[in-house]
Amino acid sequence: MEEYITSYEMDKREKAIYQRRESKVVPLYKALSKEEKDKLAILEGLLYVVGEDGIHLGQLTALLDLDEASVKKMLRHLKRRYDQKEYGIELVSYAGVYKILSKPVVSPYIQKLFQTSKANTLSQSALETLAIIAYKQPITRFEIEELRGVGAEVMLRKLIMRGLIEEVGRSEAPGRPILYGVTEEFMDSFKLYSLDDLPKIEEIKNESEDLFE
Amino acid sequence: MAFEASIQKFSGPLDLMLHLIKEEKLDIFDLDMERLCDQYLKYINEMMDLKLEVESEYLVELAMLVEYKSKKLLPKRENEEEDSAFEEDPKEKLVRRLLEYQRYKEASLKLETLYLERQLQYAKSLSDTESLVKDSDDKLSGEVKDLWRAMNKVMRRLQLSKPLSTKLTTKEVSVEDRILMIKARFNDLDEVFNFKKLVEDCENLHDFVVTFLGILDLAKNHILSFEVDENDEIWLKKELS
Repeated sequence: MEEYITSYEMDKREKAIYQRRESKVVPLYKALSKEEKDKLAILEGLLYVVGEDGIHLGQLTALLDLDEASVKKMLRHLKRRYDQKEYGIELVSYAGVYKILSKPVVSPYIQKLFQTSKANTLSQSALETLAIIAYKQPITRFEIEELRGVGAEVMLRKLIMRGLIEEVGRSEAPGRPILYGVTEEFMDSFKLYSLDDLPKIEEIKNESEDLFE
Repeated sequence: MAFEASIQKFSGPLDLMLHLIKEEKLDIFDLDMERLCDQYLKYINEMMDLKLEVESEYLVELAMLVEYKSKKLLPKRENEEEDSAFEEDPKEKLVRRLLEYQRYKEASLKLETLYLERQLQYAKSLSDTESLVKDSDDKLSGEVKDLWRAMNKVMRRLQLSKPLSTKLTTKEVSVEDRILMIKARFNDLDEVFNFKKLVEDCENLHDFVVTFLGILDLAKNHILSFEVDENDEIWLKKELS
Protein backbone atom coordinates (compact mmCIF):
# COMPACT_ATOMS: atom_id res chain seq x y z
CA MET A 1 0.00 0.00 0.00
CA GLU A 2 2.75 2.37 0.99
CA GLU A 3 4.63 1.56 -2.16
CA TYR A 4 1.60 2.25 -4.26
CA ILE A 5 1.19 5.70 -2.77
CA THR A 6 4.80 6.67 -3.34
CA SER A 7 4.82 5.58 -6.93
CA TYR A 8 1.54 7.32 -7.61
CA GLU A 9 2.80 10.56 -6.11
CA MET A 10 6.00 10.32 -8.10
CA ASP A 11 4.09 10.09 -11.35
CA LYS A 12 1.88 12.96 -10.41
CA ARG A 13 4.81 15.10 -9.38
CA GLU A 14 6.70 14.35 -12.55
CA LYS A 15 3.66 15.17 -14.59
CA ALA A 16 3.34 18.45 -12.77
CA ILE A 17 6.97 19.31 -13.43
CA TYR A 18 6.51 18.48 -17.07
CA GLN A 19 3.38 20.60 -17.37
CA ARG A 20 4.99 23.48 -15.56
CA ARG A 21 7.95 23.29 -17.91
CA GLU A 22 5.73 23.35 -20.98
CA SER A 23 3.53 26.14 -19.79
CA LYS A 24 6.14 28.34 -18.18
CA VAL A 25 8.03 29.28 -21.33
CA VAL A 26 5.71 32.07 -22.32
CA PRO A 27 4.86 33.41 -18.85
CA LEU A 28 8.53 33.54 -17.99
CA TYR A 29 9.24 35.65 -21.05
CA LYS A 30 6.46 38.01 -20.01
CA ALA A 31 8.05 38.18 -16.59
CA LEU A 32 11.20 39.68 -18.09
CA SER A 33 11.62 43.44 -18.07
CA LYS A 34 12.00 45.30 -21.35
CA GLU A 35 15.76 45.58 -20.87
CA GLU A 36 16.03 41.87 -20.10
CA LYS A 37 14.03 41.00 -23.18
CA ASP A 38 16.22 43.26 -25.32
CA LYS A 39 19.40 41.65 -24.04
CA LEU A 40 18.19 38.07 -24.28
CA ALA A 41 19.54 37.71 -27.81
CA ILE A 42 22.95 39.00 -26.68
CA LEU A 43 23.01 36.48 -23.85
CA GLU A 44 22.16 33.67 -26.25
CA GLY A 45 24.80 34.83 -28.73
CA LEU A 46 27.46 34.98 -26.04
CA LEU A 47 26.64 31.47 -24.89
CA TYR A 48 26.94 30.29 -28.48
CA VAL A 49 30.37 31.86 -28.98
CA VAL A 50 31.97 30.68 -25.72
CA GLY A 51 31.00 27.09 -26.52
CA GLU A 52 32.58 24.41 -24.35
CA ASP A 53 34.51 26.96 -22.29
CA GLY A 54 31.28 28.32 -20.89
CA ILE A 55 30.87 31.65 -19.16
CA HIS A 56 30.59 32.71 -15.51
CA LEU A 57 27.59 34.52 -14.12
CA GLY A 58 29.88 37.37 -13.10
CA GLN A 59 31.12 37.82 -16.66
CA LEU A 60 27.56 37.91 -17.93
CA THR A 61 26.38 40.52 -15.42
CA ALA A 62 29.35 42.72 -16.34
CA LEU A 63 28.89 42.31 -20.10
CA LEU A 64 25.15 42.78 -20.09
CA ASP A 65 25.24 45.48 -17.43
CA LEU A 66 22.49 43.78 -15.47
CA ASP A 67 22.33 42.51 -11.91
CA GLU A 68 22.67 38.86 -10.98
CA ALA A 69 18.95 38.34 -10.42
CA SER A 70 18.14 39.61 -13.92
CA VAL A 71 20.75 37.46 -15.63
CA LYS A 72 19.64 34.42 -13.67
CA LYS A 73 16.05 35.08 -14.72
CA MET A 74 17.14 35.31 -18.36
CA LEU A 75 19.20 32.13 -18.08
CA ARG A 76 16.23 30.33 -16.58
CA HIS A 77 14.10 31.52 -19.44
CA LEU A 78 16.59 30.30 -22.03
CA LYS A 79 16.92 26.99 -20.24
CA ARG A 80 13.16 26.44 -20.22
CA ARG A 81 12.93 27.41 -23.84
CA TYR A 82 15.61 24.91 -24.89
CA ASP A 83 14.08 22.21 -22.69
CA GLN A 84 11.15 22.11 -25.08
CA LYS A 85 11.15 19.15 -27.41
CA GLU A 86 11.62 21.21 -30.57
CA TYR A 87 15.10 22.39 -29.51
CA GLY A 88 18.24 20.28 -30.03
CA ILE A 89 20.36 22.17 -27.55
CA GLU A 90 20.33 22.51 -23.80
CA LEU A 91 21.59 25.15 -21.39
CA VAL A 92 23.60 23.65 -18.53
CA SER A 93 25.71 24.94 -15.68
CA TYR A 94 28.64 22.79 -14.62
CA ALA A 95 31.68 23.80 -12.56
CA GLY A 96 30.16 27.23 -12.07
CA VAL A 97 29.87 28.15 -15.75
CA TYR A 98 26.95 28.26 -18.13
CA LYS A 99 27.23 26.60 -21.50
CA ILE A 100 25.22 25.15 -24.34
CA LEU A 101 25.35 21.44 -25.15
CA SER A 102 23.61 19.36 -27.76
CA LYS A 103 20.84 17.21 -26.34
CA PRO A 104 21.43 13.46 -25.88
CA VAL A 105 18.92 12.78 -28.65
CA VAL A 106 21.41 14.16 -31.19
CA SER A 107 24.22 11.88 -30.01
CA PRO A 108 23.70 8.93 -32.43
CA TYR A 109 23.71 11.34 -35.36
CA ILE A 110 26.88 13.03 -34.17
CA GLN A 111 28.56 9.64 -33.93
CA LYS A 112 27.40 8.86 -37.44
CA LEU A 113 28.58 12.20 -38.77
CA PHE A 114 32.06 11.93 -37.30
CA GLN A 115 32.21 8.16 -37.49
CA THR A 116 33.12 7.88 -33.86
CA SER A 117 31.98 4.75 -32.15
CA LYS A 118 32.00 4.60 -28.38
CA ALA A 119 32.40 7.39 -25.94
CA ASN A 120 35.28 7.42 -23.49
CA THR A 121 34.57 5.01 -20.70
CA LEU A 122 35.89 4.92 -17.17
CA SER A 123 36.65 1.63 -15.44
CA GLN A 124 35.03 0.70 -12.15
CA SER A 125 38.36 1.26 -10.41
CA ALA A 126 38.64 4.71 -11.93
CA LEU A 127 35.10 5.61 -10.90
CA GLU A 128 35.62 4.38 -7.33
CA THR A 129 38.85 6.34 -7.02
CA LEU A 130 37.15 9.45 -8.40
CA ALA A 131 34.21 9.00 -6.02
CA ILE A 132 36.52 8.76 -3.01
CA ILE A 133 38.46 11.86 -4.08
CA ALA A 134 35.33 13.85 -4.85
CA TYR A 135 33.65 13.10 -1.52
CA LYS A 136 36.72 13.28 0.69
CA GLN A 137 38.98 15.81 -0.97
CA PRO A 138 41.62 16.95 -0.26
CA ILE A 139 42.88 13.43 0.22
CA THR A 140 46.24 11.64 0.12
CA ARG A 141 47.11 8.59 -1.92
CA PHE A 142 47.51 6.56 1.26
CA GLU A 143 43.95 7.35 2.39
CA ILE A 144 42.57 6.32 -0.99
CA GLU A 145 44.51 3.06 -0.86
CA GLU A 146 43.23 2.39 2.65
CA LEU A 147 39.66 2.81 1.51
CA ARG A 148 39.92 0.65 -1.58
CA GLY A 149 42.46 -1.90 -0.35
CA VAL A 150 44.30 -1.47 -3.64
CA GLY A 151 47.38 0.48 -4.74
CA ALA A 152 46.38 3.79 -6.33
CA GLU A 153 49.57 5.19 -7.83
CA VAL A 154 48.98 4.22 -11.45
CA MET A 155 45.31 5.14 -11.29
CA LEU A 156 46.05 8.59 -9.89
CA ARG A 157 48.52 9.22 -12.67
CA LYS A 158 45.94 8.16 -15.28
CA LEU A 159 43.27 10.40 -13.79
CA ILE A 160 45.66 13.36 -13.73
CA MET A 161 46.46 12.69 -17.39
CA ARG A 162 42.77 12.77 -18.19
CA GLY A 163 42.46 16.07 -16.35
CA LEU A 164 39.89 14.75 -13.90
CA ILE A 165 41.97 15.23 -10.75
CA GLU A 166 44.88 17.44 -9.75
CA GLU A 167 47.31 18.04 -6.93
CA VAL A 168 45.82 20.59 -4.60
CA GLY A 169 48.53 20.84 -1.95
CA ARG A 170 50.49 18.95 0.64
CA SER A 171 49.26 17.30 3.80
CA GLU A 172 50.82 18.23 7.15
CA ALA A 173 51.29 14.52 7.87
CA PRO A 174 54.84 13.10 8.02
CA GLY A 175 56.48 13.12 4.61
CA ARG A 176 54.08 15.89 3.55
CA PRO A 177 52.22 13.66 1.06
CA ILE A 178 50.45 15.17 -1.94
CA LEU A 179 46.78 15.99 -1.57
CA TYR A 180 44.46 15.34 -4.48
CA GLY A 181 41.20 16.98 -5.50
CA VAL A 182 38.89 16.93 -8.50
CA THR A 183 39.10 19.46 -11.33
CA GLU A 184 36.55 21.61 -13.16
CA GLU A 185 36.83 19.07 -15.94
CA PHE A 186 35.59 16.46 -13.46
CA MET A 187 32.60 18.63 -12.55
CA ASP A 188 31.79 19.04 -16.23
CA SER A 189 32.18 15.32 -16.93
CA PHE A 190 29.83 14.44 -14.08
CA LYS A 191 27.27 17.20 -14.61
CA LEU A 192 27.96 18.99 -11.33
CA TYR A 193 27.56 22.71 -10.73
CA SER A 194 29.48 22.39 -7.49
CA LEU A 195 30.63 19.60 -5.18
CA ASP A 196 27.40 20.05 -3.21
CA ASP A 197 25.66 18.49 -6.20
CA LEU A 198 27.39 15.14 -5.72
CA PRO A 199 24.84 12.34 -5.35
CA LYS A 200 24.01 11.87 -1.69
CA ILE A 201 25.55 8.80 -0.12
CA GLU A 202 24.31 7.05 2.96
CA GLU A 203 26.17 7.83 6.12
CA ILE A 204 27.68 4.85 7.86
CA LYS A 205 25.56 3.70 10.75
CA ASN A 206 27.40 4.70 13.84
CA GLU A 207 28.10 2.20 16.54
CA SER A 208 25.56 3.46 19.04
CA GLU A 209 22.85 2.54 16.59
CA ASP A 210 24.30 -0.91 16.14
CA LEU A 211 23.90 -1.59 19.86
CA PHE A 212 20.15 -1.60 19.48
CA GLU A 213 20.08 -4.14 16.72
CA MET B 1 30.94 -24.46 -6.93
CA ALA B 2 31.29 -22.70 -10.22
CA PHE B 3 32.83 -19.24 -10.21
CA GLU B 4 31.19 -17.34 -12.98
CA ALA B 5 32.80 -14.15 -11.85
CA SER B 6 36.40 -13.77 -12.91
CA ILE B 7 38.73 -11.82 -10.70
CA GLN B 8 39.09 -9.05 -13.28
CA LYS B 9 35.50 -8.19 -12.57
CA PHE B 10 36.41 -6.99 -9.12
CA SER B 11 38.09 -3.70 -8.47
CA GLY B 12 39.88 -4.99 -5.37
CA PRO B 13 39.78 -7.39 -2.43
CA LEU B 14 36.99 -5.47 -0.68
CA ASP B 15 34.87 -5.65 -3.80
CA LEU B 16 35.44 -9.40 -3.90
CA MET B 17 34.49 -9.74 -0.23
CA LEU B 18 31.26 -7.82 -0.77
CA HIS B 19 30.47 -10.16 -3.65
CA LEU B 20 31.10 -13.23 -1.50
CA ILE B 21 29.07 -11.82 1.40
CA LYS B 22 26.17 -11.25 -0.95
CA GLU B 23 26.54 -14.64 -2.59
CA GLU B 24 26.76 -16.47 0.75
CA LYS B 25 23.98 -14.30 2.19
CA LEU B 26 26.17 -13.35 5.14
CA ASP B 27 25.15 -10.56 7.50
CA ILE B 28 27.62 -7.76 7.01
CA PHE B 29 26.89 -6.29 10.47
CA ASP B 30 27.50 -9.62 12.19
CA LEU B 31 30.09 -11.02 9.87
CA ASP B 32 30.88 -14.71 9.90
CA MET B 33 34.61 -14.25 9.40
CA GLU B 34 35.37 -17.99 9.21
CA ARG B 35 32.90 -18.48 6.40
CA LEU B 36 34.17 -15.43 4.58
CA CYS B 37 37.74 -16.65 5.00
CA ASP B 38 36.90 -20.09 3.58
CA GLN B 39 35.06 -18.67 0.59
CA TYR B 40 37.72 -16.07 -0.06
CA LEU B 41 40.47 -18.68 0.06
CA LYS B 42 38.49 -20.97 -2.19
CA TYR B 43 37.98 -18.22 -4.69
CA ILE B 44 41.63 -17.17 -4.77
CA ASN B 45 42.70 -20.82 -5.20
CA GLU B 46 40.26 -21.24 -8.04
CA MET B 47 41.62 -18.16 -9.77
CA MET B 48 45.16 -19.38 -9.37
CA ASP B 49 44.22 -22.80 -10.75
CA LEU B 50 42.85 -21.01 -13.78
CA LYS B 51 46.25 -19.35 -14.10
CA LEU B 52 44.68 -15.95 -13.67
CA GLU B 53 46.84 -13.28 -12.23
CA VAL B 54 45.93 -12.52 -8.64
CA GLU B 55 47.28 -9.18 -7.50
CA SER B 56 49.19 -9.00 -4.25
CA GLU B 57 46.47 -6.83 -2.70
CA TYR B 58 44.17 -9.84 -2.67
CA LEU B 59 46.77 -11.87 -0.84
CA VAL B 60 47.29 -9.18 1.81
CA GLU B 61 43.62 -9.40 2.76
CA LEU B 62 43.74 -13.17 2.56
CA ALA B 63 46.57 -13.20 5.07
CA MET B 64 44.51 -11.01 7.41
CA LEU B 65 41.51 -13.37 7.15
CA VAL B 66 43.60 -16.47 7.70
CA GLU B 67 45.34 -14.91 10.68
CA TYR B 68 41.99 -14.04 12.22
CA LYS B 69 40.66 -17.52 11.67
CA SER B 70 43.74 -19.27 13.04
CA LYS B 71 43.70 -17.10 16.15
CA LYS B 72 40.13 -18.14 16.81
CA LEU B 73 41.13 -21.79 16.58
CA LEU B 74 43.87 -21.45 19.14
CA PRO B 75 42.97 -21.58 22.82
CA LYS B 76 43.02 -18.10 24.32
CA ARG B 77 45.75 -17.18 26.68
CA GLU B 78 44.52 -15.40 29.76
CA ASN B 79 46.24 -12.07 29.42
CA GLU B 80 45.60 -11.80 25.71
CA GLU B 81 42.17 -10.33 25.89
CA GLU B 82 43.31 -7.36 27.90
CA ASP B 83 46.11 -6.65 25.46
CA SER B 84 43.87 -6.63 22.48
CA ALA B 85 41.42 -4.27 24.13
CA PHE B 86 43.60 -1.41 22.97
CA GLU B 87 43.63 -2.59 19.40
CA GLU B 88 40.67 -2.50 17.07
CA ASP B 89 39.23 -5.96 16.62
CA PRO B 90 40.16 -7.12 13.08
CA LYS B 91 36.58 -8.13 12.49
CA GLU B 92 35.21 -4.74 13.47
CA LYS B 93 37.85 -3.08 11.39
CA LEU B 94 37.00 -5.17 8.36
CA VAL B 95 33.27 -4.51 8.74
CA ARG B 96 33.96 -0.78 8.99
CA ARG B 97 36.15 -0.88 5.87
CA LEU B 98 33.61 -2.94 3.96
CA LEU B 99 30.77 -0.57 4.83
CA GLU B 100 32.76 2.48 3.92
CA TYR B 101 33.98 0.91 0.69
CA GLN B 102 30.40 -0.04 -0.15
CA ARG B 103 29.33 3.59 0.18
CA TYR B 104 31.90 4.74 -2.33
CA LYS B 105 31.11 1.89 -4.63
CA GLU B 106 27.47 2.91 -4.63
CA ALA B 107 28.45 6.53 -5.17
CA SER B 108 30.67 5.50 -8.07
CA LEU B 109 27.69 3.79 -9.73
CA LYS B 110 25.63 6.97 -9.44
CA LEU B 111 28.53 8.98 -10.81
CA GLU B 112 28.86 6.57 -13.70
CA THR B 113 25.25 7.23 -14.72
CA LEU B 114 25.94 10.96 -14.74
CA TYR B 115 29.16 10.42 -16.67
CA LEU B 116 27.47 8.32 -19.33
CA GLU B 117 24.67 10.88 -19.68
CA ARG B 118 27.19 13.67 -20.08
CA GLN B 119 29.08 11.70 -22.73
CA LEU B 120 26.02 11.94 -24.97
CA GLN B 121 26.11 15.72 -24.98
CA TYR B 122 28.52 17.79 -26.98
CA ALA B 123 29.66 21.36 -26.77
CA LYS B 124 31.11 23.18 -29.71
CA SER B 125 34.56 24.60 -29.23
CA LEU B 126 35.17 28.23 -28.37
CA SER B 127 34.61 30.32 -31.48
CA ASP B 128 37.81 31.38 -33.19
CA THR B 129 37.57 35.13 -32.92
CA GLU B 130 41.24 35.60 -33.76
CA SER B 131 40.90 34.71 -37.43
CA LEU B 132 38.30 37.46 -37.75
CA VAL B 133 40.60 40.08 -36.35
CA LYS B 134 43.49 39.30 -38.68
CA ASP B 135 43.36 39.89 -42.40
CA SER B 136 42.25 36.46 -43.46
CA ASP B 137 41.96 37.27 -47.17
CA ASP B 138 45.34 36.18 -48.39
CA LYS B 139 45.84 33.29 -46.06
CA LEU B 140 44.89 29.71 -46.50
CA SER B 141 43.29 28.29 -43.42
CA GLY B 142 42.67 24.73 -42.51
CA GLU B 143 41.37 22.77 -39.59
CA VAL B 144 43.83 20.61 -37.71
CA LYS B 145 41.30 17.80 -37.91
CA ASP B 146 41.29 18.03 -41.71
CA LEU B 147 45.06 18.05 -41.78
CA TRP B 148 45.16 15.00 -39.60
CA ARG B 149 42.74 13.09 -41.80
CA ALA B 150 44.56 14.09 -44.95
CA MET B 151 47.84 13.12 -43.38
CA ASN B 152 46.51 9.67 -42.64
CA LYS B 153 45.36 9.32 -46.20
CA VAL B 154 48.75 10.31 -47.56
CA MET B 155 50.44 7.87 -45.23
CA ARG B 156 48.28 5.07 -46.48
CA ARG B 157 48.79 6.12 -50.05
CA LEU B 158 52.53 6.08 -49.69
CA GLN B 159 52.32 2.81 -47.81
CA LEU B 160 54.49 4.21 -45.15
CA SER B 161 52.17 3.44 -42.30
CA LYS B 162 53.41 -0.11 -41.97
CA PRO B 163 55.76 -0.49 -39.05
CA LEU B 164 59.31 -1.00 -40.21
CA SER B 165 60.66 -4.41 -39.42
CA THR B 166 64.27 -3.33 -39.34
CA LYS B 167 65.94 -0.43 -37.64
CA LEU B 168 67.62 1.93 -40.05
CA THR B 169 71.15 2.83 -39.25
CA THR B 170 71.18 6.07 -41.20
CA LYS B 171 71.37 9.25 -39.22
CA GLU B 172 67.97 10.50 -38.23
CA VAL B 173 67.09 14.02 -39.22
CA SER B 174 65.80 16.26 -36.43
CA VAL B 175 62.76 18.47 -36.86
CA GLU B 176 64.96 21.57 -36.64
CA ASP B 177 67.22 20.29 -39.41
CA ARG B 178 64.24 19.43 -41.52
CA ILE B 179 62.81 22.93 -41.12
CA LEU B 180 66.11 24.35 -42.34
CA MET B 181 66.01 21.96 -45.29
CA ILE B 182 62.47 23.03 -46.17
CA LYS B 183 63.40 26.68 -45.86
CA ALA B 184 66.39 26.11 -48.14
CA ARG B 185 64.05 24.77 -50.79
CA PHE B 186 61.64 27.67 -50.40
CA ASN B 187 62.78 29.63 -53.44
CA ASP B 188 62.29 26.69 -55.76
CA LEU B 189 58.73 26.21 -54.60
CA ASP B 190 55.62 27.81 -56.02
CA GLU B 191 53.55 30.21 -53.97
CA VAL B 192 51.11 27.38 -53.28
CA PHE B 193 52.39 23.83 -53.46
CA ASN B 194 51.38 20.30 -52.58
CA PHE B 195 52.61 18.61 -49.43
CA LYS B 196 53.81 15.73 -51.59
CA LYS B 197 56.49 18.02 -53.02
CA LEU B 198 58.12 18.23 -49.63
CA VAL B 199 58.12 14.50 -49.00
CA GLU B 200 59.59 13.53 -52.36
CA ASP B 201 63.00 12.97 -50.80
CA CYS B 202 61.68 11.06 -47.80
CA GLU B 203 63.04 7.56 -47.60
CA ASN B 204 61.36 6.31 -44.49
CA LEU B 205 58.62 6.93 -42.00
CA HIS B 206 60.88 8.95 -39.76
CA ASP B 207 61.72 11.48 -42.49
CA PHE B 208 58.09 11.68 -43.31
CA VAL B 209 56.97 12.36 -39.75
CA VAL B 210 59.75 14.89 -39.21
CA THR B 211 58.65 16.73 -42.36
CA PHE B 212 55.10 16.80 -41.11
CA LEU B 213 56.16 18.12 -37.70
CA GLY B 214 58.32 20.71 -39.44
CA ILE B 215 55.29 21.94 -41.36
CA LEU B 216 53.25 22.21 -38.20
CA ASP B 217 56.01 24.31 -36.70
CA LEU B 218 56.25 26.53 -39.78
CA ALA B 219 52.47 26.95 -39.77
CA LYS B 220 52.57 27.91 -36.12
CA ASN B 221 55.14 30.59 -36.86
CA HIS B 222 53.07 31.84 -39.81
CA ILE B 223 55.77 30.99 -42.31
CA LEU B 224 53.45 28.54 -44.03
CA SER B 225 49.71 28.09 -44.00
CA PHE B 226 47.83 25.01 -45.03
CA GLU B 227 44.54 23.94 -46.47
CA VAL B 228 43.03 20.56 -47.14
CA ASP B 229 40.93 20.25 -50.28
CA GLU B 230 37.97 17.97 -50.94
CA ASN B 231 40.30 15.19 -52.16
CA ASP B 232 42.17 15.29 -48.85
CA GLU B 233 45.20 16.78 -50.54
CA ILE B 234 47.29 19.02 -48.32
CA TRP B 235 48.18 22.34 -49.91
CA LEU B 236 50.75 24.67 -48.45
CA LYS B 237 51.15 28.37 -49.03
CA LYS B 238 54.17 30.51 -48.35
CA GLU B 239 53.41 33.37 -45.96
CA LEU B 240 56.85 35.01 -45.86
CA SER B 241 59.02 35.55 -48.87
